[in-house]
Amino acid sequence: MSHSEMSRAKRHLETTSRMKEMLPRFFMRMMERRFSNEPLAWCMVGVPPELLKAFDLLFEWPENFGTMCASRLVAPRFIEVAEGDGYSPELCSYVTNTMGYCKLFKETGEAPPESPLPGGMGTPAMLLGSGFICDPRWKWFQSIATRFFDVPVYSSDPLAPPWDIDPHDPHIENHYLTLLREDLAGQISFIEKHTGKKLDLNRLREIMALSHEALAYWRDTLALRKAVPTPMGSTDYFHAIIPQMYLVGDQEAVDFYREIYEEVKDRVERGVGIVEEEKYRLIWFGLPPWFNMGIFNYLESLGAVFAYESTYNVGDYFEVDLSDPLEAIVRRTWQRAVKMHEYGAETMPELCNPAVFGGFSGSNLLEELVGEYSLTGAVMHLTRSCRAVSFGEVHTKNRLGKIGVPSLIFESDMADPRLWSDAQIKTRLHAFLETMDKTGRGGNINDRQK
Amino acid sequence: MTVRNNTGLLNKAAEENEQNVRRIKAETGKPVIGYLCCFAPPEIISAAGAIPYRITGQPGMDTSAADAYVEPYGCTYVRNILARAVDGKLDFLDGLIISHSCDMVQRLYGIWTYSHPLPYSYLFNVPHQISPWAQRFYKRELGFFQESLEKFTGHQVTIPELKNIIVKYNHNRFLVRKLYELRKESLPLIEGSEMLNLLIAGGTLPAEDFTVLLEKTTNDVIKRKPDGPKAPRILVWGSIMDDPALYRMIEEAGGKVVADDTCIGFRVWEKDVPLTEDTRDGLTEHYFVTFQCPRTDRGPGIKRFDYLLQRAREYRVDGVVGYSISFCDPHKFDYPDLRDYLKKEGFPMLLIDDNYSFEPAGAIQTRLQAFIEMLK
Ligand code: SF4
Ligand code: SF4
Repeated sequence: MSHSEMSRAKRHLETTSRMKEMLPRFFMRMMERRFSNEPLAWCMVGVPPELLKAFDLLFEWPENFGTMCASRLVAPRFIEVAEGDGYSPELCSYVTNTMGYCKLFKETGEAPPESPLPGGMGTPAMLLGSGFICDPRWKWFQSIATRFFDVPVYSSDPLAPPWDIDPHDPHIENHYLTLLREDLAGQISFIEKHTGKKLDLNRLREIMALSHEALAYWRDTLALRKAVPTPMGSTDYFHAIIPQMYLVGDQEAVDFYREIYEEVKDRVERGVGIVEEEKYRLIWFGLPPWFNMGIFNYLESLGAVFAYESTYNVGDYFEVDLSDPLEAIVRRTWQRAVKMHEYGAETMPELCNPAVFGGFSGSNLLEELVGEYSLTGAVMHLTRSCRAVSFGEVHTKNRLGKIGVPSLIFESDMADPRLWSDAQIKTRLHAFLETMDKTGRGGNINDRQK
Repeated sequence: MTVRNNTGLLNKAAEENEQNVRRIKAETGKPVIGYLCCFAPPEIISAAGAIPYRITGQPGMDTSAADAYVEPYGCTYVRNILARAVDGKLDFLDGLIISHSCDMVQRLYGIWTYSHPLPYSYLFNVPHQISPWAQRFYKRELGFFQESLEKFTGHQVTIPELKNIIVKYNHNRFLVRKLYELRKESLPLIEGSEMLNLLIAGGTLPAEDFTVLLEKTTNDVIKRKPDGPKAPRILVWGSIMDDPALYRMIEEAGGKVVADDTCIGFRVWEKDVPLTEDTRDGLTEHYFVTFQCPRTDRGPGIKRFDYLLQRAREYRVDGVVGYSISFCDPHKFDYPDLRDYLKKEGFPMLLIDDNYSFEPAGAIQTRLQAFIEMLK
């Protein structure tokens, strides 16, 4: 099929544009180490990257590889191979992308030439999974280790309380914290066993301090987006999360997030927005379509900006006492669970479902968000193959409707461009903005606030 | 020839189960607690003075009532249950217990209890692996669950009472296993669809009423004379099977369902709950550690399907029919591994993808027929 309608994103910030040099430098360093046969772990988001750094373990994120394959439009090739192997097209496209990749790798003994990185994802020596967020994550590494790479797997299991259970009840807190602590200990002894290294707690503490410093800059950057006009949009946002995955715990990451903070702050002070006239200030729900990030620029061309994205958003859950770094990891996970709980955990399987906001009885977080970021509408990406993140959008739409915020749900996928229908999606987005105009929710935000 | 019942709408059994529970509720004055999945033991529900009722869907029904609450991309069975709840079809329930078996039912819990609250509801959280700490979590969860239920019913669970109920349930397990034994014969005396309807009823009846039903059925069945031609023996694996439509279609295509590995099927009755000193140890062992559901991670490797291979051999199965409901991650993920493993061991497998409607029936029937022909 033709992918001519897909477009790469234009970023607005200088700092994120500089990532184009920073990340390849990192990948080259990784590649050299891989060539010297250091063990490589494939990991899932949810595994504390600081822990990997503390073990000086080489790691790769198949989910992120999925986003890269998607943006280079090679994901359909891998996904089709997986489908030929019996994996349903309904399954998470990050997963099917990996499964197709693995199958081709196994057949030829090397990374498929289409891989976005030279050497692809390398050959794993272990798989470190995390059931954080969804079921596919439980089955994914299980299947990889069954079909393709016969390597040991450890999947961590960070459960969180359901929406109608009070996470502040000390019995409940203890119930969950005990699981988190014991699970982390299991994860550490697994890594120790398979690397032959002992965890150095002092090193872990230093890494966490650096990582939290970077996260704090990032959190503060996101808060700056309350300014009208918003100084940063979604294309920068979705790219700027990548250093968190690869460079966490490095001074380089702290510098990156400090620079982004300073650049965004400077834009706020100078009143520089990302579009000439900010007509619609929106909130984005769901995963982005990585193969067509240009859709954000398209919306910007119509005067629509996103000041907030529900996915990959950091709160201040990392504000924990680092003196005992293991307890800090546990508390951080727990605080994140509690935070998400306040947002609305009615459809939350584990730690987060970013589709659901402000549902928990008594919580005004959704209303606060709408007020603080001067939001006038919401766009929700219903990703067919990732229900984990998008299931709950109808529920949030209902809640937004109650406070008079219009929203649009459109369907596609995060990695599989075959589910993208450009003309149709653009028509729907356009029509949505027009209705916002008609109902007085469009137009110059400053004028409307007067 | 049986009347084809592909939509399940002709399945009077489900209706009877509902009428039954309404009657028992009126007679006993006990609250009815609906549940999905088996991780929260019905024994505890009974011991707390309530009637456990396993909620079933109605394949093929119009589920548009669910559209106002959930998106189209979700397990069609879960949407079906939600649509029934929204339509008031489950108004006889006083409470709801959902275990965190898969993402979809967990979300059903939240959206259902948020939009249509019931007098009582509890989400039973279940870890995904069976590590020692996961088992300890499960055991603690049993305690929290029991406490919350006792608060609702006002009835304290006593150990002797709970043990007594476990014994009753175990007796039913024994009777179910006896009926399954009869299916090992070359000419099984009981049809798969009849067996499934019986098990579905078992999820909706108090233990003692189910005992009566099982004994009566067993007495009838053993009097039957083996009859008819030998037919390919089928094991059904897959997503929730709470309606016999597929079994009937297999029977009509000339096959015999002699074994299964689905929710509500054998996995619930296969083993007894061990009567341990601390009852929660036995319940943890039964409902969590040995309970075979693909949502639980038993580590990589094909060994995780050994139990199924053993079952296929024990029941001298000729082929396996897989059933996968739209958007069912746990089963769809296991399919390629399982298919390859069974093939290697000499068991062909046919996968039926369905949106919980068994439609288009003609197309499903044709595929089943071709598969069963091939097995002859
Ligand atoms: S959260 Fe969604 S995208 Fe991520 S692994 Fe799960 S299904 Fe895939
Ligand atoms: S059919 Fe699958 S997705 Fe649906 S409730 Fe059962 S396990 Fe979950």
